[in-house]
Amino acid sequence: MRFTAAVRAICALELRSLLRDPRTVLISIVLPVLLLPVLLVAINFVEDRRVEREETRIYRVAPAGTEGALAREVLDRVVERSATARSDGEGAAGGGGESRFRLMELEGSVEEAIEAERVDVVLEGLTSEEWEAWIAEDTARTRPDEFEGVRVLRVVYRANRTASREGAQALRAELFEVRDERRDAIVRGAGFPVPLERVAPLDTANVAPAEVVSGARLGRILTVLLLALVVLGGSIVATDTLAGEKERGTLNTLLTSAASRTEIVSGKLLAVMAVGLAIALVQVLNLWIYLGLGVIEAAEAYAIAVSPALALTLFVLYLPMVALTAGVLLLTSAYAGSYKEAQLYLTPVLLGLLVPTLVPILPDVSLESAIVLVPIANLSVAARDLMIGDVSFAWLAAAWLVTTLAALWVSRRTVHALEDEELVTGEAPSAAVVGGDALFRRRIVRWFVVFWAVKILIDFNLPFEDIRAVALVSVGIVFLAFPLLVVRRFGLDPVEAFALRRPRPGVWLGVAIGVPAGLIVAQSVFHLMNFVIPVPTELLESFGESLLPEDIPLWQLVVLLSVLPGITEELTFRGVLLHGLRRRFGPVALALVVGLIFGFFHFQIFRIPSTAAIGVMLTAVTLMTGSIFPAIVWHTLNNALAIWLGGIGFEPPGEFGLWAPLGAAGLALAFWIIWMNRTPYPDVGPPPGNTGWDPDPDQSERASRASVLKSTQME
Amino acid sequence: MIPPAPTPDHDRPRGAAGSAGERAGSGAGDAGAAGTLPVRTEALTKIYHDDGRGEVRAVDRVDLTCRRGEILGLLGANGAGKTTALRMLSTVLQPTGGRAWVMGHEVREEPERVRERLGFYSASTALYPKITPRETLRFFARVNRYPAERVEARVEELIDRFGIGDFADSRVEKLSSGMKQKVSIARTVAHDPPVLIFDEPTVALDVLNAIELRGIIGGLRDEGKAILFSTHIMSEAEQLCDRIAIIHQGKILATGTLDELREATGLHYLEEIFVHYAGVRDTDEATLEQMQPAEEAEGG
Repeated sequence: MRFTAAVRAICALELRSLLRDPRTVLISIVLPVLLLPVLLVAINFVEDRRVEREETRIYRVAPAGTEGALAREVLDRVVERSATARSDGEGAAGGGGESRFRLMELEGSVEEAIEAERVDVVLEGLTSEEWEAWIAEDTARTRPDEFEGVRVLRVVYRANRTASREGAQALRAELFEVRDERRDAIVRGAGFPVPLERVAPLDTANVAPAEVVSGARLGRILTVLLLALVVLGGSIVATDTLAGEKERGTLNTLLTSAASRTEIVSGKLLAVMAVGLAIALVQVLNLWIYLGLGVIEAAEAYAIAVSPALALTLFVLYLPMVALTAGVLLLTSAYAGSYKEAQLYLTPVLLGLLVPTLVPILPDVSLESAIVLVPIANLSVAARDLMIGDVSFAWLAAAWLVTTLAALWVSRRTVHALEDEELVTGEAPSAAVVGGDALFRRRIVRWFVVFWAVKILIDFNLPFEDIRAVALVSVGIVFLAFPLLVVRRFGLDPVEAFALRRPRPGVWLGVAIGVPAGLIVAQSVFHLMNFVIPVPTELLESFGESLLPEDIPLWQLVVLLSVLPGITEELTFRGVLLHGLRRRFGPVALALVVGLIFGFFHFQIFRIPSTAAIGVMLTAVTLMTGSIFPAIVWHTLNNALAIWLGGIGFEPPGEFGLWAPLGAAGLALAFWIIWMNRTPYPDVGPPPGNTGWDPDPDQSERASRASVLKSTQME
Repeated sequence: MIPPAPTPDHDRPRGAAGSAGERAGSGAGDAGAAGTLPVRTEALTKIYHDDGRGEVRAVDRVDLTCRRGEILGLLGANGAGKTTALRMLSTVLQPTGGRAWVMGHEVREEPERVRERLGFYSASTALYPKITPRETLRFFARVNRYPAERVEARVEELIDRFGIGDFADSRVEKLSSGMKQKVSIARTVAHDPPVLIFDEPTVALDVLNAIELRGIIGGLRDEGKAILFSTHIMSEAEQLCDRIAIIHQGKILATGTLDELREATGLHYLEEIFVHYAGVRDTDEATLEQMQPAEEAEGG
């Protein structure tokens, strides 16, 4: 990037325009600056109140049960102990020797008394039979041996009432003390020579220095926090700058000036970076003033001393990340037709950028692994390691370089976007007038962004436990309704939109070979990703259990999780999505893009790469055959095979790495067969006329046109 | 120069193109382009692909020239291809075929040099609302590579010339449409370009502002600028343009002075001449409706 006069002028113009918008300044800088101390004070106030209440509140406790006498005896001791402790001034609030527990008499049943708030906690004395009967109801608990004839005390409370919950907690602590007293007395009475606490005492020691512990804690969340602030700050300029300028008509003015596209993008990128960084710094500084200078006391765990040298290193480390973030925001703005549209894209963009910053939270992710190749994620891990003080310079530099290259690449994409006539003028083949397919192709991305958000909302708020109901709604209804809605809204021909064409018979052989081979390849992709970002085994197991519960008949699983998604997801992705994007990319990019979007609709992050791989294969089949049917059959068989293998608990024999080449070879064979039987998808790739360049027009054609002109001019 | 197409000077891409051409090309930093026509297009073509309509030839093998101190009017109905042609000249759109030069620089090969020598004004080129007219002029002089040491003097000169002084330091968003129009024109000529393009400049203006704008454009012509002026208003073309190119469905049907066009057709009024060339009959009411009389258009 060269800092030409034009770059400087464009950057200065952006910053000046922003600073002159009082609402923006108020909302993005002044309000957060003021709100933060309010928030901190409020948190401290709530915490102080909680502590104070804990110290002054008196809990009403009552004995009950068959062994009520034991309960009463113990409670008497609890009340007495508490009063003694408070008169000795142990509690900060003192309390003047008044016990924290007041003994009450129980009226009515235990549950009633607590619910009606007549008492806070009840201590129930149970015989061993009663206790045994009670734990028998709870299958998760096993009865300890040799409990014959032992009496049990049970603390009864209601967790939804603060006084009851806190009272139960306080009472339990006291009960342990009383139990120790009684045990000690019994043991000493029986002639044991020393107090019990002196038998096998246990202690722990943490050898990590305090700053490393807090560094690790802060390092894990620092990048998330910073990136979120940069996005929130940068997006103020980014959404307004290209999308907003298109809307206001100033982009036209700028594009007809002598500033090159690169200069325009550079100037605007600098402005987005500057504002994103400035707002992030203002907030960090704000936090530091209140917490670091002790204006407001911080929770001890986050009190960390960041040296100026470390702060500077972090700043340099984060620069490419800020540039990449600014670039992504600017690119999003370039693709949006209006300010509103840019804002619509902001949420998925923010989420997409935040995902890699969460990597340091995962256990045992080291920078010295393939993670160094993942932009943003690599710097997040590097920042964490830097804060612990455990990082090698070479790996740090590699991470920095990778993210810098990614930032440059995204900036190049933005420059290209400014050269895209349809994006810049927003009116190229007058789609709004033509409507139908042309309008559909312009709107398809917008529709999918909204659909993605809606799908998340639906999936995470389904009120069902049963996987069958979930599948029926989430896969059956949602993925069917969406493509039908799109086809209806844009008046598309269903045969074209869903590629309802008959493939050649030979294709089916390719599909038959491709299904198992594709599954192996997808599984290899998952293993590869697991190498980069290890997925906790518990997560996989719980996901497997939720997807393949044992009490549902296999045929139902096959119908709901294979046939249904095989049809509806294909209509959505290889149907309308592919149809809508077909003009924007060449076949290879198209397969990758559709596959990736398909992956992103599987909201468990660890599933995205492997499902995207399957998505790429399904798109490729559809592109080669011009028909959706092979993809439907492939998808259905793929899921059925996965369910069946999961059901029989199949584990691939030997190292999985040996299977990957086998899968790849099978897949190559499958696609070769399909290619030999191809009937390609129509109209893929940008239309030829918009890119073709004809510097030397055909002379003879010009001559013939001239003669036509002459004849019409009636000289 | 009728008929226009068979006798272009494309055999001599950079050479002398007649006496008018020799006067052109004195713009800043264009020593090498001296003797070249300020604006020249050769079979300039723009084709869109549209699934609904198939191949759309928005601009179809257009040959144009514009000399120094001349206003060339592009007269055509909405959708005739005027804006697309002018956008190709200003390098915002890329030609599908043919070539175009501004001060000897080809639009695809040297887009930045082309834009440096060009001022583009249309109803869709808006001003930045949060900055002042003075800042606007300074900004556009800088991004258009006007010599840094002369920017301030140039800004003052423009403020003085276009009567912007009273509101030079108010924000653009607070100005009336007449004031904005003055700033917009000053912005267009901020870097003193030898070529100016006005794409339907009066389309959103009231009568008085339109008259004032036409006066200013005439003044710029007298200074020796080469001006391309597109309009669908007959009277505007009659009053202002030295030569008129009639464009219809992407094609240039005739080019010449009003007298030349009258002579060639034997018709007096420009509207009749346009209808004659465009082959528009009473049946094609849509096109005729777009070619409204000046008063009506300006009143809107």
